[in-house]
Amino acid sequence: MASALRSSILRHIRVPISGTLNLNGSRLWTFRSMSSHGDDHLDKQEVVDRVLDVVKSFPKVDPSKVTPDVHFQKDLGLDSLDTVEIVMAIEEEFKLEIPDKEADKIDSCPLAIEYIYNHPMSS
Amino acid sequence: MSVATASYLARRAAQKERVRTLYRRALKDTLNWAVHRHLFYSDADALREKFEANRHVEDIELIDRMIAAGEASYNKWRHPDPYIVPWAPGGTKFCRNPTPPPGIEIIYDYGREG
Repeated sequence: MASALRSSILRHIRVPISGTLNLNGSRLWTFRSMSSHGDDHLDKQEVVDRVLDVVKSFPKVDPSKVTPDVHFQKDLGLDSLDTVEIVMAIEEEFKLEIPDKEADKIDSCPLAIEYIYNHPMSS
Repeated sequence: MSVATASYLARRAAQKERVRTLYRRALKDTLNWAVHRHLFYSDADALREKFEANRHVEDIELIDRMIAAGEASYNKWRHPDPYIVPWAPGGTKFCRNPTPPPGIEIIYDYGREG
C-alpha cells in the first residue's frame, strides 16, 4: 500500500521529456564539452604570460618592446606575413586550431589574448 | 597607374587577404611534410623567400595570376594526412563524445524500478 503510494508519487515527481528538443548544431556544441581536454581553463595572467613569451621569442621582434597591448604591425614593425607566423606559433603553443577567417583578424596582442582566453579548448 | 579608387583598394585588400591565407596554409603544409623542426625552419625560410621575392609587384592582374599559381602549387603539394588538432573538424576526437540532447537525464532511482 505504502509502496504503491510511493511509486505513484515517484511516477509523478519524475519530469517527462518535454517536446522534441533538437540539438541545433550550434558551434559550441561541436566541441567536446564532456572531455577532460581543455579542463584546465587558463587564467588570464597565464595566457598573457605565455602569449608574451611566444612573441618575445620571435627572432624579428625586440623583446623589450613587447607589452600586453602591443600591435604587431604598428608597434613592433612587423609584416603581415610575420603576423601570420606569430599566429601559427600561438596556435601551436595553446594547441588550438584557429579557422583562417579568425586568424586573419588577429592583429595585435590584446586580440590574441582575448581570443585564446575565450576559446573553450585552449590548454 | 596609381589611381587609388575604392574598388582598386578593395581589390588589393582582397588580394592581400588571399596572400595571407595562402601563406598560412602553405606554412602549415610545410610543417606537415617537414616534421623535424630543423628541417621545418629551413623550409619555412625558403617559403618566405618565395613570398618576399614578389613583394613589390604592382600590376594587379599579375598579382591575381601569381596568387592563382601559388594556390595551384599549394593544392599540388598538400599533405595527404595532415596533422589536425584532435578536437577540430577532421581530427581524431572530433564528435567522438557528442553532448547528449537536452532533456535527457539520468533518473536516480537506485534500482527501485518505479
